[in-house]
Amino acid sequence: MGDTSIISARGLGHAYGSIVALHSVEFDLPAGRTGLVGANGAGKTTLIKILLGILRPTLGSATVLGFDATKQFLKVRSRIGYMPEGDCLPDDITASEFLVQAAGLAGLPATAARQRASDVLTLVGLEEERFRRLGGFSTGMKQRTKLAQAIVHDPELVFLDEPTAGLDPEGREEMLELISRLGGFGINVLVSSHVLGDIERTCDWVLMLDGGRVLRSGPLSHLVDADMVEIEVVGESAALVSELAAAGATVEVSGSHVYVSSTDGDPFNIARDALAATGTGIWSMGPKATTLEDVFLEGSGE
Amino acid sequence: MSDRGAVFDLGYAPYDGERRGRKGAIRTTYRDGLFRVFGIRRRARKKILPWMLIVLATLPAIVFVGFAFLLSTFAPEAESPFGSHADYFSITGVTILLFVALAAPELLIPDRRSGVLSVYSSRPLRPDDYVGARAASLLTVIAGFMLIPQTLMYIGFAALSADGFFKGLGENLGEIPKILAAAIVYALAYAPLALLVSTLTKRKAAATGIFLGIFLIGTALGASLVQATSIPGHRYAALLAFGEHPAYVRDWIFDRIGSSDLVVASSGLDPWLSLVAILAVAAVSTVVVVWRYRRIM
Repeated sequence: MGDTSIISARGLGHAYGSIVALHSVEFDLPAGRTGLVGANGAGKTTLIKILLGILRPTLGSATVLGFDATKQFLKVRSRIGYMPEGDCLPDDITASEFLVQAAGLAGLPATAARQRASDVLTLVGLEEERFRRLGGFSTGMKQRTKLAQAIVHDPELVFLDEPTAGLDPEGREEMLELISRLGGFGINVLVSSHVLGDIERTCDWVLMLDGGRVLRSGPLSHLVDADMVEIEVVGESAALVSELAAAGATVEVSGSHVYVSSTDGDPFNIARDALAATGTGIWSMGPKATTLEDVFLEGSGE
Repeated sequence: MSDRGAVFDLGYAPYDGERRGRKGAIRTTYRDGLFRVFGIRRRARKKILPWMLIVLATLPAIVFVGFAFLLSTFAPEAESPFGSHADYFSITGVTILLFVALAAPELLIPDRRSGVLSVYSSRPLRPDDYVGARAASLLTVIAGFMLIPQTLMYIGFAALSADGFFKGLGENLGEIPKILAAAIVYALAYAPLALLVSTLTKRKAAATGIFLGIFLIGTALGASLVQATSIPGHRYAALLAFGEHPAYVRDWIFDRIGSSDLVVASSGLDPWLSLVAILAVAAVSTVVVVWRYRRIM
């Protein structure tokens, strides 16, 4: 992974006085869309600030796109974009002027900056609003403008910090759709969020932090557990559970959901036979899909 | 022409053109600072005060040259009652003080209050670059305020010279380094302190008030302490009259200390002490502003 990773950390740690925010974490993140998840205080913001070169780590090192995040932070910043969680928009200039300025700050010449600003505002659906002052924008429009400034200079990698914060359901859908499209533009994404569903929808890799430690770093596809079958039952499940237990399967019941695993054979076959034998009606049956929330709660010991 | 239309999905176009990196980021920060100070690309109300002060700083120079022209035409033997280059600093000194009091908060405070600083922090820009570019914007404006009217006067008076334009230019060549030196002194006295005050508060009106207060109250306090006490060394209280230091050093530069009616002059302080006070405050202010921005960027 080390050679193909776009972000790596080796023994990376940071402390604010006596409070340790990151405990010597190690990870390698591949190209693509990665979700950075964790509760408040997990160390997400500290990690992003280190990767941006704003904070110096007290331990270890991190590399971004092959550059040392601390010693070569100007090279890193020339290649990345950042959408902060909080406000970052001046209210007294238009969206177009702000985007031109954001592109200029990334080093683009004036003519290219104007062209890119226009293109990217169209991309995020703000072409009609580009000459309006940002002070009059709704929360959804502001979030899209924040995303636009992060990608206006066509970065190789973009950090998105809580991109759906404060959005209504429709705005959230639009933002997630935009984030999903970034990969197709050749832009790698690191999305920080505490909304696990957003990460599941948009990312193909997850870095999970808890209390400044890495809980999990791996592909989201591994969250599907092929060794366990999940059955959603119509009505009573008692007869089915007895039949499964008699067949030697391990059974867990949660409401109308029955989870089946077995060391003696394929749990799908055992479940199929038990359903046929008991005549139990079902809504659905398939491999158990572990949610990020399951992994997070399991890993954090809650 | 074909009557059949075509739909093109332009999608996302990658950018593979020039990237100027840190230099481009500094240039953009500098240019944005100039736009902001003059209210360019901002609402009309943000343009009123700066442009009014520009007119106030420049108009007297045009009037002086105009009257000098009339005088030289209709009463060539009369002595000109209009001021010298040194006198003109008294006019622009007050105007520039007001301008800096308004411009410095406009340069630094909105970026912090609106969170735009986090965008700067993600670009190839060091905190020192940001502060330096903003300071350069302010110094450019101060230089313009100080030197454009002086240049108008210099060229205008040369044009009216009885010995001809070029001889007129040559006769006053010695004034040029003095004008430049005085402009630098005013810039050092005003800009770093104004930026420091703007670094320490998030309210533009408060920053303007505090900055002007330091000059007005300091000068009044210094004058009263010098006059009201007789303890040994009381004349050093004149150092508090911060508003007078640039004028005192200007008089020193133009060799008119003897005619100066400033408190610092009447207290008997040497003009180099005023210069040291200006440089010390400028140095401390610069260090604190850079230190603060290194912490927040």
